[in-house]
Amino acid sequence: MQNAKDTFYTTLQARIAALNPGRTIIVRGTVRPGVLVDENELPALSPPVDCFRLRWTKLEVAEASPLPLAAMTCAITYATDGTSGNAAMDRGRLLSAMDAELAAALIQTPRCAPKLNYSAAGVGVAPAVMGTNIFWADPVFGAVTTSDERLERTATVQVFDYQEAGEL
Amino acid sequence: MSTTLTAVAPVAPATDRLRAYFAPVNRAAGAPTLFDPAQSGSFTLGTPPDPWIDLGWIAKFARKCGTKVDPLRAGSPAVTVGQVRAEIDATVAFEFETWGRLQATLASGSQQTNLLATASGAAANGSGGVAGAAAPLLTSPASTAATLSIGTTAAVGFSAGNLVAVDIDYSGQTGYVGAGVSAAYVQSAAAVNNDANYIRRVTLNVGVIVGIDSGVLTLATPLPAGAPTSAMKVSKLVGFCDREGPSFFQEWSALFVAEGAQGDRILYHYPRLQAMQGSAESITAFAAPFESVRLAAAFRALPVKDNNDGETVVCFRSYLPAPLRLP
Repeated sequence: MQNAKDTFYTTLQARIAALNPGRTIIVRGTVRPGVLVDENELPALSPPVDCFRLRWTKLEVAEASPLPLAAMTCAITYATDGTSGNAAMDRGRLLSAMDAELAAALIQTPRCAPKLNYSAAGVGVAPAVMGTNIFWADPVFGAVTTSDERLERTATVQVFDYQEAGEL
Repeated sequence: MSTTLTAVAPVAPATDRLRAYFAPVNRAAGAPTLFDPAQSGSFTLGTPPDPWIDLGWIAKFARKCGTKVDPLRAGSPAVTVGQVRAEIDATVAFEFETWGRLQATLASGSQQTNLLATASGAAANGSGGVAGAAAPLLTSPASTAATLSIGTTAAVGFSAGNLVAVDIDYSGQTGYVGAGVSAAYVQSAAAVNNDANYIRRVTLNVGVIVGIDSGVLTLATPLPAGAPTSAMKVSKLVGFCDREGPSFFQEWSALFVAEGAQGDRILYHYPRLQAMQGSAESITAFAAPFESVRLAAAFRALPVKDNNDGETVVCFRSYLPAPLRLP
């Protein structure tokens, strides 16, 4: 299932970067597209804003088909404080922009991607393309929560992944 | 160095929705448009091969087999010794996600009319009163499928956003009429009041103006029938109308594509479909007080002969597996 998690992350990251190249984040001194996976990063006291943070939550595995099917829930949290130049009065607009970016990235076709195995990937070594695709359902957007001027929302999306030989 | 790839087990296709495509049936010749899945099955959904026209997504797709298989019995007491197909029949029903001219026509199953802009003082009529004069196409600059050259004087009567119908004048012909697609069948000139605008009233060759410059109307998308002939004229229309009860049966060649999440694809090809119901809608509540109104359509499949073996069939289902799937 790690292959599916990695594939979904890199697919979403590429789509967000294509939709808004300016959506970037600095992680350990490196500028990256503004999508990260919480469990892959150092614990932080203050989570970053103006980017999309992925967390993997529920998991179900069904044996009904020739290949076991894993259904994983990905919670995507994003927040903004607005910009200081606008005295944070643009925080609603910035959150709306992130809503639109995430929705566009997740509902654009195809809603699937070839599953990639990153276990042997590295500098100059591309991930291995596996035999099946991951695919995902419509995102469900939760209510906005407010903390002082910070606006935050979590969207969830179910990601499906057939388990190939050696994955289970 | 050789590489051996690993094939994986085929799983049931997982698909979220289907896409529909239209192609005309040459009614006068009785010739449908055949789709060859072996040659063209992997086309990109947004750009179907010519002459197929994208009808958009559809919902609640339901195929029904009406073929009757009867037992052949012999002996006493009778024992089934074989079977025979006594009737071949198939129907298909679905709802269009898009409400366009072509979709509404197909769903209505008959000659849907364009509500042509009426002449001043025209008497009221259910499918639109007597239409105003149409604008002839000029020979220079030449018109194309997406630009209509009518001159600056005639262009004054049109605005960006107007819908237009483009076709020839009616001049007494009988039989199937309509550029590109047989839109109606004219039994006699008297039946259509010898109305010069009649063919433009029923034609499916319509477009929407997105720009006007120096007497040339630019359309948002190319006309379904392609570049117009110099004999065609342009009429402004305000909408479309279908009726319960007309005699004409619209017939079309249909292709439905279900794209699987694994890169596989199911193609359903019905070379000849005719509507088996009149105009109908499906009302779905989605957020009070709003309701979604979709065009509901149901069709009966008519037969063609498969040239590979001479079999008479009414539909073809093809499956293109994802790469590297065990057969």
